[in-house]
Amino acid sequence: MAPVAPRSGDVIFANVERVNAELFTLTYGAIVRQLLTDLEEVDEVNKQLDQMGYNIGVRLIDEFLAKSNVSRCVDFKETAEVIAKVGLKMFLGITATVTNWDVEGTTCSLILEDNPLVDFVELPDTCQGLNYCNILSGVVRGALEMVSMKTEVTWLRDMLRGDDAFELQLKLLKQVPEEYPYKDDE
Amino acid sequence: MIVCVAVVGHQNNPLYIQSFTEADDVLKLHHIVHCSLDVVDERVNNPKKSSPTLNETFLGLLYPTENYKVYGYLTNTKVKLILVTTDLDVRDADVRNFFRKFHAAYVDAVSNPFHVPGKKITSRTFAERVSTIVKSFGLSSAS
Amino acid sequence: MGREVSESCVESLVTEIVSSYCNGFYADKPELAARRIEAIGFQVGHQLSERYTMDRPRFTDHLEAIKFICKDFWSEVFKKQIDNLKTNHRGTFVLQDNRFRWLSRMSVDPSIETLGSIQDPSAMAENKAAQAIGMHLYFPCGIIRGALSNLGIPCAVSADISNLPACSFVIRIKA
Repeated sequence: MAPVAPRSGDVIFANVERVNAELFTLTYGAIVRQLLTDLEEVDEVNKQLDQMGYNIGVRLIDEFLAKSNVSRCVDFKETAEVIAKVGLKMFLGITATVTNWDVEGTTCSLILEDNPLVDFVELPDTCQGLNYCNILSGVVRGALEMVSMKTEVTWLRDMLRGDDAFELQLKLLKQVPEEYPYKDDE
Repeated sequence: MIVCVAVVGHQNNPLYIQSFTEADDVLKLHHIVHCSLDVVDERVNNPKKSSPTLNETFLGLLYPTENYKVYGYLTNTKVKLILVTTDLDVRDADVRNFFRKFHAAYVDAVSNPFHVPGKKITSRTFAERVSTIVKSFGLSSAS
Repeated sequence: MGREVSESCVESLVTEIVSSYCNGFYADKPELAARRIEAIGFQVGHQLSERYTMDRPRFTDHLEAIKFICKDFWSEVFKKQIDNLKTNHRGTFVLQDNRFRWLSRMSVDPSIETLGSIQDPSAMAENKAAQAIGMHLYFPCGIIRGALSNLGIPCAVSADISNLPACSFVIRIKA
């Protein structure tokens, strides 16, 4: 059995240093706008945001593991739950639900109904191809790579484009087993 | 009934103006808003020293016309908010309450990273929010 | 109201802005990188001053606005007030934070190789770490300039880090 992961990040979030979300939201918004000015192409901005997120994820995973006491050896299903209930809570103060598992147990979706990145944001008509929250998918991809899970992380639904929720699809491409041999649930 | 509201930038550039009345009044209302800006400037540049409301954002009744009452509000960032109403008996608390909500809606609209300072506010969310605030004017005035 | 996020989120973003602009697209143009980082800060400061002055009377003069930056604004952003405010009464104000939060907590990437042009030259020590810190400071300098500019006070803002971890922000109001 894998060590028990915390079911919720509430206690951890209550104990980390926190700041006013407005500062975070507005800083991210200003970055996106500056990148649009400098890179011009929306696709380039999507790529850059993903890359920035990846770099952040690679760094944040240590803080996450240290503060959450989550073991590195959880399987993908448990990992998705931990991201949704502990990881997102600990950093952004929000949670997601995990759903839409495929038969193999290698693809699922995180559904976010609330997301501090997009407070006050309305996409202009010229930016409809922008994946505004791409930094978040990058963070998840970067963090998972540091615990030996190579993933593809894609936005399927986006409230800024009129969807009723944010849906982030996680697809496990390759898992390098560590101490525990990889065990398929199905 | 509120017939017109406006947001005007610090160079008297209109950022948002919306009337809630029959179309043939629109030009007249825009003119009233325009004239009220001079009154705001006058008020701010020559404050009554004895007034307890010195530097308060809420400027009160700017001037009454035959059919309308015009109220003003000036933010720290020199943005003017204007309200034109046909009500004769308006309670001060209702007007203050209106401006507080109107100001909050404005602040959220300009917090959109894609809003360009000094440019017109085109946000649909803002328009809807303002319309809701206008409709609720005077209905709940406990504060 | 009162929504919060972990402080790591903000720090991560700031670190990433600096490394993206200094190591990435503007690797050999530190002045351009600095200008972009400052511009991001400017937008944030501009918007924050709009939010943080919402429920207060208008400022009557420059000093009142600067005091607001030192107290309320700084507390919202950095959870403490400015420790010392000095002025020459001719439009220059020096705001000293004895333990500037973004320097005491942030991990500064020492590989950033650049020289600040706005920063006080005496503060730009020989070593790269100080230069990297200089790059990070364009962001808060931009925040201060954006906030004051929106309050009707055009100015230039620079940072002095000759007494780390203290950091002084020098505001020169344009006549």
